[in-house]
Amino acid sequence: MGLTMVEKILARTSGSARVRAGDNIQAKPDFVVAYDFPGYTDVIFQQMKNDFGITHVAEPERFALFIDHMVPAITTQEEDLHQNTRDWGAANQVPVYERKGIGHQVAAELGYATPGALVVHFDGHISQLGTFGTLALGVRRHLLEAFVNDHIRLPVPHTTRIDLVGEMPHGVMARDVFHHIVRVLGAASCRFQVLEFGGEAVQRMGIDARQTLTCLAMFTGAISAIIAPDDITLPYAKARARLDIEPVYSDANAVYAARHTIDISGLQPVVVVPPSPANTRDLSEHLGLPVQVGYLGSCASGRIEDLRAAAQVLRGRQVHPGFQLHVVPTSQEIMRQAAEEGLLTDLIAAGAFVSSPSCDYCFGRIGVMTAGQRAVSTGTLNVKGRMGSTDSEIYIVNAMAVAAAAIEGRIADPRDYL
Amino acid sequence: MTGLSLPAIRGRVAFVFEEVDFDVDQIIGVKNIKLRDPAELASVAMQSYDPQFAQQVKQGDVLVGATNFGYGHPHYPPMIAMRHLGISAVIAESFSPGYWRGEIAMGFAQIACPGVLQAVRRWDEIEIDWSQHQLVNHTQHTALPFEVYSQADREMLAAGGIMGYLKHLRTKDSA
Repeated sequence: MGLTMVEKILARTSGSARVRAGDNIQAKPDFVVAYDFPGYTDVIFQQMKNDFGITHVAEPERFALFIDHMVPAITTQEEDLHQNTRDWGAANQVPVYERKGIGHQVAAELGYATPGALVVHFDGHISQLGTFGTLALGVRRHLLEAFVNDHIRLPVPHTTRIDLVGEMPHGVMARDVFHHIVRVLGAASCRFQVLEFGGEAVQRMGIDARQTLTCLAMFTGAISAIIAPDDITLPYAKARARLDIEPVYSDANAVYAARHTIDISGLQPVVVVPPSPANTRDLSEHLGLPVQVGYLGSCASGRIEDLRAAAQVLRGRQVHPGFQLHVVPTSQEIMRQAAEEGLLTDLIAAGAFVSSPSCDYCFGRIGVMTAGQRAVSTGTLNVKGRMGSTDSEIYIVNAMAVAAAAIEGRIADPRDYL
Repeated sequence: MTGLSLPAIRGRVAFVFEEVDFDVDQIIGVKNIKLRDPAELASVAMQSYDPQFAQQVKQGDVLVGATNFGYGHPHYPPMIAMRHLGISAVIAESFSPGYWRGEIAMGFAQIACPGVLQAVRRWDEIEIDWSQHQLVNHTQHTALPFEVYSQADREMLAAGGIMGYLKHLRTKDSA
């Protein structure tokens, strides 16, 4: 029987000729990445030194740190954390990328999404490097193992194959497609597995859309997601790749835990209603619901495709009086492109509040809501208190629907503005 | 992993969370998620489920959950509160991976046991039989198999969490 991409990547990184799903292995990640966050990086640095006597990492080129949360700092404690990260990076000769954007996106821009590579982070949204055929796992506190030892111990995960077919309908984006998958398969459908996306609809998707799909894998219970590199992703990834590794592809007779084919041609825009990412509904069921805040950004959305879509809706129109529309491009590279294309001008002219890249709007550090307020958001999550008061609400929608709601001050159908 | 064994678990079912995709942050309420003191966390835990919980729970008791327990964006404080109150394990139909990884790294036993919701009632006396991979219900005189750990999870739990695990690996490697 054949092998999945995941099995091939874990065979190489564990120095084995062949591994199968379920095997217990020791793999050496090609890259160990993290953003600085209290309780994670600061603790890891401390434990390495105090508990394990490690003063320097042996292979600094395998490590990368990002400063993307708490940017810019608003307290001295936050800046202390960042300074601690910079100092550790300098002492270990590990690069610290700061103010370049959300790390999961910047990691791809800087070549850590090398096709065929294994990457670990504590944060699960790193799964989006799977867009480029990279296996990227978010392992929470187990990340300490990758800082202390060369190898990490893990069971080889099973893979579920999801083939997307059909044309993407007007007004529908990758964001809708992903949440539709959660609705069809269920929030527990792929627990502890890796999603492998394929099919004609994925082949037609650009890089941005694929990053959205793979970023959100965790909400199906999956631990990551991956897509076979192709003519769309390979030129991007190869030009930036930090390692010379042959891309891998699943064999035609690979063994999957499950295979699903989902036709997206009849899909309508969706909304994920609070307080759980499991709650996908048709947007049409919630039209007219008053909203006061809009957030367009995050590691899941906020890329050039999203900004173009929002600008298309908002061009020549105005944000509803009193509505707070926050637009936060995912990276500096994306923001610059948006500026060059005139998208930022369109968005600003419409009344959007445009900020430089940061994770901070997504997790309620800035732009927070008070009790009773309601947001439409392309952020990653809609759980209680995520963007401020535990008595505020978050409705997740695609970028066009954020823009449409911003115009009307209520949940609106973006197709009316296209 | 020589010299280390899984923790003995015997106690009462202190609560049954029947909600599928249960968000553990609800145990303390999201407004308390930034609390750090275990005693303070324990004082706010379960207020919306059973305000008498802290008075009734005893050292060694367990929690029971439904399918995909820990879904959403789980934080550590809810289970810091539960451990402070004496809870020794969570036994659920199945778990969300992020939550699972986080708690196993804390050395907190999580046991995936399909059928557990039907097999136990609140306050039943249960025991985990690690050798037979069975959940034994001493009140109802029944037993139910649970899922076997991966090697890494078993060793980490036996070592009391990620720190003990990594230190044990070092000792083993240098031995």
